[in-house]
Amino acid sequence: MGPLIYSCDIIVYIGIFGIVCLSLNLEYGFAGLANFGKVAFFLTGAYTYALLSQIGLPFYLCLIASALISAIFGLLVSLPALRLRADYLAIAVLAFGEILRLIMKSEKWLAGGDWGMAVSPIFPYMGSYLLYRLENIGLVFLCLFLCFLVVQLLTNSPYGRAMRAIREDEVAAEALGKDRSRFKAQAFMLGSAMAGLAGGLYAQYLQYVLPGMFMPMVTFTVWIMVLLGGPANNWGVLLGATLVEIFDRGTNIVKDYIALPVDPSNLQYILFGALIIFVLLFRPRGLLKESAIRTKALRLAHNARRAVKNKGSQ
Amino acid sequence: MVDWLQVLFNSCVTGSLYLIAAVGLTLTYGLSKFPNFAHAEFMTLGAYVGYFIAEQLGLGMPLAFLFAFLVTGIVGFLFYRGIFQPLAKRGASIIHLMVASIALGFILRHSIGAACDWNPLYFTATWPAFDVGSVRVTGLWLQLIFTALALSLAMHFLLMNTKIGKAIRATSSNPELALASGINVDRVIWIIWFVGAGLAAVAGIFRGADTQVWPMTGWDMILPVFAVTILGGIGNFYGAIAAAFIIGLAENIGVVALIGLGLSTTYRIGIAFVILIITLIVKPQGLAMLFRRG
Repeated sequence: MGPLIYSCDIIVYIGIFGIVCLSLNLEYGFAGLANFGKVAFFLTGAYTYALLSQIGLPFYLCLIASALISAIFGLLVSLPALRLRADYLAIAVLAFGEILRLIMKSEKWLAGGDWGMAVSPIFPYMGSYLLYRLENIGLVFLCLFLCFLVVQLLTNSPYGRAMRAIREDEVAAEALGKDRSRFKAQAFMLGSAMAGLAGGLYAQYLQYVLPGMFMPMVTFTVWIMVLLGGPANNWGVLLGATLVEIFDRGTNIVKDYIALPVDPSNLQYILFGALIIFVLLFRPRGLLKESAIRTKALRLAHNARRAVKNKGSQ
Repeated sequence: MVDWLQVLFNSCVTGSLYLIAAVGLTLTYGLSKFPNFAHAEFMTLGAYVGYFIAEQLGLGMPLAFLFAFLVTGIVGFLFYRGIFQPLAKRGASIIHLMVASIALGFILRHSIGAACDWNPLYFTATWPAFDVGSVRVTGLWLQLIFTALALSLAMHFLLMNTKIGKAIRATSSNPELALASGINVDRVIWIIWFVGAGLAAVAGIFRGADTQVWPMTGWDMILPVFAVTILGGIGNFYGAIAAAFIIGLAENIGVVALIGLGLSTTYRIGIAFVILIITLIVKPQGLAMLFRRG
């Protein structure tokens, strides 16, 4: 692969994982939910896309179905799990992801078991790998933009502020009449839908799905991206996704040029682990700090204060 | 025709394994207030150290158990002292601690993978197998059950009749009060992390000797071990004993049922998951109600 195609490949990955990061940011950053099973919904989306596109549904319907089915899974999981403490939720959802992968692995009639199944791409191969990637970049970043818009508007809205309030103090928020389990379930559902959409895009870009693609490491990578970039900051998590993806690919390139004493794929996991511990110890809020809330009322108040100040100085 | 005696015996074997593996997890979870996902890798590390001592150096199984216990115990202590304790002191949330434990697990697992390769290894030691009535028994399984029994008795004695046991129980139920009563809370937690990781290593060797040793040895077992911890009630040793045998029984009966239904037996691990979820929904405190003294 030439360097240009390679960079395009990285950009597609950044876009897909950017969407997953936004979804985790919605759940963890804003609503405070420890979703350790992100990969479960990513998997659901990917397999939904794979199975439906096989029937011959057009790709946009497949993508919508990926999001919807993941959202339904998210809702089903969240209904019992959200009443739980953070640690119980984490264990339950992590286990859910493992079970889902196990089902895909053992039910060979459904999606080929261990060997997975081929997925027809949205954009047929037109004789140029570069073109194929550019088309995908267009589609993925369109989806990323839509998701970003949704999350950004949502978290700035009164709804998003209630969500942050629940994250900070459940009891206080409940005392103010905010139904915490409803808010959490909705955040979880929307997050799962976005993860499912990303899964669908991932499946069609790679043109195959198999259970080995959906190891717990995927969830963990997304957590690194979010924690590194800065939870509760949508620009931050996109920055995190970019940095981690470049780091990931960078080590892959380096291994081609430098003979390492350690197997590079192992080394990568070790470095990721070390990176996250470093972030947690020395920069627990991530690179960018939590985004401030911007509303019309706040802006008016700010302007008014400045106006008063200016008056005083005259 | 299903031999129910064999199923019962197998349940005891499975339950014993899960008990040894879960003791450390449930006690560290109870004391440090977060689930340590790297517990899986303690088992893996133990299995590898055991394999190295018993197979590469040929020093025999007793020394393998001893060294695995010590080495993994020290690693467990260092993890707590070096990473988790500083994180907790800096006010990390439970979510941060969980992420850190997963990160440490990955570091450990892939360090092992880098050092020893990902191909599975097998213990060459053979175990005498014989039939008691219609029940197939191997020496390894008997050792496993015996170890679990000895561990239960020893832990019971330790928790109930010694000063350190009293300190553990006090710290577990109320750390501030324990500190105020002059208990060195930090030291209690260090000891528990050491012993808990060491016991995980013992479970890892048993699992490795029974099946195979590879970097995922511990992760393959972590789900039922978490189920035991939650069903038994976090930090509750007596609850864990009961839970380990309930889950052992459920898994072995479940395998019979799966074969009967014509489903893949890889779903065996799903049984623990179902119990885990039901416990969390119905009674998140687990069986702890039945064992208040623990």
